[in-house]
Amino acid sequence: MSKAYDVVILGAGPAGLAAALGAFDKGADTIIIEREGSPGGILKQCIHDGFGLITFKEKLSGPEYAERYIKEVKEKNIPMLISTYVVKVKKIEGLFYITLVNSSNGVFEITSKSLILANGCRERTSKQVFINGTRPAGVYSAGTAQYFVNILGYLPCKKCVILGSGDIGLIMARRLTLEGAKVVGVYEAKVAPSGLSRNIAQCLEDYSIPLYLSHTITRIIGDERVEAVEIAQVDENMNPIKGTEEVVECDGVILSVGLIPENEIAESLNISIDRGTKGPIVDQNFMTGIEGVFSCGNALHVNDLVDYVSESGKFAGENAAAYVKEKEKRLLRVVKAEDSNFLYVVPQYVNLQSANTKIVLYFRVRDIKSKATVQVTYKGKVLFSKKYAHLKPPEMERIEIDIKDLDIDSEAAGVFEMSMSY
Amino acid sequence: MNRNLKGIERDIRKIIGKEICCSEWHSSIVLEGEVNQWSEVILAGKLAANKGYKGVINKIKVKGLVLPQIKRPAIEDKALEGKIVDVLIIGGGIIGSSIARELSKWDISIMLIDKEEDLAMHTSSRNDGMVHPGIEAKPGSKRAVFNVRGNELYSKVTEELDVPFERCGSNWLFDKRWVKLAKPFIMSRAKKSGVKGISFLNKDEMRRLEPNIIDDFQLAIHFETTGILSPYKMTIAYGENAVENGAEVSLNTIVLSMEKEEEKIISVTTNRGKIYPKAVINAAGVFADEIANMAGDQFFTIHPRKGQIIFIDKKKGQLINSVIAKPPINLVKGNTKGGGIVKTIDGNVLIGPDAYEQPFKEDYSTSRDNIDAILRRHLPLVPKFSPADVITYCAGNRAATYEEDFIIERSEYVYNLIHAAGIQSPGLASAPAIAEEIEKITYKLLSEVIQVNRKEHWNPRRKSIPDLSKMAFEERSKLIKQNPDYGVIICRCEEVSKGEIEDALRSPIPVSTVDGIKRRVRAGMGRCQGGFCMPLVMDVIAKETGKNMKTITKKGRFSNILNSDVQEEYKKAANSCDCQGIGGEDGGIHE
Repeated sequence: MSKAYDVVILGAGPAGLAAALGAFDKGADTIIIEREGSPGGILKQCIHDGFGLITFKEKLSGPEYAERYIKEVKEKNIPMLISTYVVKVKKIEGLFYITLVNSSNGVFEITSKSLILANGCRERTSKQVFINGTRPAGVYSAGTAQYFVNILGYLPCKKCVILGSGDIGLIMARRLTLEGAKVVGVYEAKVAPSGLSRNIAQCLEDYSIPLYLSHTITRIIGDERVEAVEIAQVDENMNPIKGTEEVVECDGVILSVGLIPENEIAESLNISIDRGTKGPIVDQNFMTGIEGVFSCGNALHVNDLVDYVSESGKFAGENAAAYVKEKEKRLLRVVKAEDSNFLYVVPQYVNLQSANTKIVLYFRVRDIKSKATVQVTYKGKVLFSKKYAHLKPPEMERIEIDIKDLDIDSEAAGVFEMSMSY
Repeated sequence: MNRNLKGIERDIRKIIGKEICCSEWHSSIVLEGEVNQWSEVILAGKLAANKGYKGVINKIKVKGLVLPQIKRPAIEDKALEGKIVDVLIIGGGIIGSSIARELSKWDISIMLIDKEEDLAMHTSSRNDGMVHPGIEAKPGSKRAVFNVRGNELYSKVTEELDVPFERCGSNWLFDKRWVKLAKPFIMSRAKKSGVKGISFLNKDEMRRLEPNIIDDFQLAIHFETTGILSPYKMTIAYGENAVENGAEVSLNTIVLSMEKEEEKIISVTTNRGKIYPKAVINAAGVFADEIANMAGDQFFTIHPRKGQIIFIDKKKGQLINSVIAKPPINLVKGNTKGGGIVKTIDGNVLIGPDAYEQPFKEDYSTSRDNIDAILRRHLPLVPKFSPADVITYCAGNRAATYEEDFIIERSEYVYNLIHAAGIQSPGLASAPAIAEEIEKITYKLLSEVIQVNRKEHWNPRRKSIPDLSKMAFEERSKLIKQNPDYGVIICRCEEVSKGEIEDALRSPIPVSTVDGIKRRVRAGMGRCQGGFCMPLVMDVIAKETGKNMKTITKKGRFSNILNSDVQEEYKKAANSCDCQGIGGEDGGIHE
């Protein structure tokens, strides 16, 4: 058998590319596995701008942003297998055996000392949000519609409704309008939009596309192509209110009803998944419950900015390289965010034995909050405190804490508590 | 039984409160009149059924209800004009396809027609894929007899046709220990019908078979002969083997009328020309009564009994191994199926179906109330299942008659017509036996007019498209070496390669719809429901068939996936808009 790699990265999207650079720069023998025919992940079809404001202080398009990383990966000669699909992963005595398939090698195996899961996420489907009615052509997830328009150059529909106000849905509302289709409206079951405020302004308001909050599609009508949808208002539990139904004619339904981290490989390794993020539970080094397996990007939790995806990828890559060189002991302490106020926090654990004491926490709030103070404490000691003017669920927050000065030797058990007062 | 039209009229009047006119025609009973709702139509039909008449012809109308016309194919041509065949089979579901295959061992010309773009587009792709043991139908009924025989035949036919089949067994759970007292009754019923392999299990024994089910039951009945298969793969396999043995399949072909002379069908007019058959087999599913009517031999009525089915993610598939249901105690009576939880042959779990009467034969819409009710009823059987595991759902219509039994017979009045009608549950389980019986009837009929000989080189075997995801790695590598497209994964959820999709497009009954590909190789059947692979599948279809992307449909007719080229729309919009330009990130439409 050929030698084991230090780090194998699954996925060549923004997370995987940054992870590869992170690992390579720390001297690890690294390889990227990508199932699609070229690297870049979903960025390949995101031809709108706004990528890289934090990292590069520039407004780049998706392909431009990806290209910066791809170029660097190529310059550094980091090997990458494209059009290669992971069939199976198993861990035996600290070594990962990754079974792959592609057209030139057939089924083959590589081995690695560590593994980074950078698989990204997928879109929730119409049935996963319990839309009923018929099953005609003309119902697409926003990402599929985006692929049709931006990659293949076809318009999927001429007059559509968009369900859900996630960012891709908003972007597609603008994109379809620019290409000559009529977007009747964006319908969102929640009381507040799911997408970023800047996308509401730039993609809907600038084009006079109406946004209907507390509305959902109750039924799809049309046997072959979509002919219409039935829209209804929903109550606070998002159940349709009888008597508010209205039929809206259209030939397409675009869904932007949420993203789910793709973690089938993590699950096959029995890695614990967080119910809030739907991604693996990790420590501050992005190491999952299984030693040597790291997770980053949208596979870890769905981000709203690519800059954070790349940041988590870089961390994961560097930490995987460090792990391969020297295994740290693990003394894990829970990071607990109050359920009532927070949707989730990542990482869910802190390894007190880790040399990495500067910890980045990403979190989302459950509801819109104004003038709220967020605190992180450990055994009563305040590690972080900040007053926010506004906190919104669609906007992920990033904070840093330092545990360098924590006296951990004497600690038996403790919890990093995250709380909010307003 | 004495036939008593007045008595039936009286019963209907008493129960429904409406005047329904009953008359006799060809020893069947005809019901005519008008009622206020569909449930009254059904009730009247049931009141008239099995009262000594051959069948119920229910022509009762619902006030204000206009039933939609049958959906016709988009094609009109003369491709089949003047075609002379020995046997014309109407309907390409599991029944028509299995009949075509069994008849293909004879040296006769066979044509199977179906109005859809593919086989198995109606009930045969909209059921739970269960091969029942044969205990539910009344002993001696055709549903019981053909079910038990069909179940037996599946071992051989699935092996010959290379269709995955597993005798996974089924289990009924009961809350009441006293169900045990019903054992002699169930065993005697099983004996009468010839159902083997029934055992009564206590809770521990049952939980050893299915460790992840609820604790909340006392007793289980286990049926070891129950099997599971993909109903559409089975239908396609039958159809393909028939074609490989010389039968012809004409899709997008609908029967419009039949011309008779002296109670014999001379020709059958379709949207693609007039066909001249020696024998006609009616296997038209929910439309079988309408076909019978065209031939002047309608002695039954199909009332579509709808069911909705939920599919859950493969990743929860390993939690169960078989078919599990917690039926109502009186399940051995009545025709309403309770549904349950079914481990599918592909590893998913299927939940349902429910059953309810409604008038629309081609309405496959689902409704929130039904889906919620199915989840409420069956999901708790396996505590680790959650509504978040649902990936999709669908609906189907059972082709039930009021007599609630199969019709498998040569017409009493039309010389060359054979009916395989009223094939509701357990129709899939019974199909191989129904085909066997129809083969005998057809042989006899044809032998009266022509010499019927065995085909010299009939091949009972058919190879299915290789399923690379299930192959041993060495074998898989070998195939990829022969055809590198087998190494290009198109559908990531179901691990389907480009090569498999190309195989489907080159198969004996090639169908270039997105759903056709999905049913043959499972691309798009997984948890993302084609979100990632649909454009890629379309691209393979376009390259392989030379079709323009815009003409590719989801399921035939007018179900095109795409509307137009971006460029076309851009140009049109630019021409119609004489002011500001459209397009570009900053040059969008501003007021």
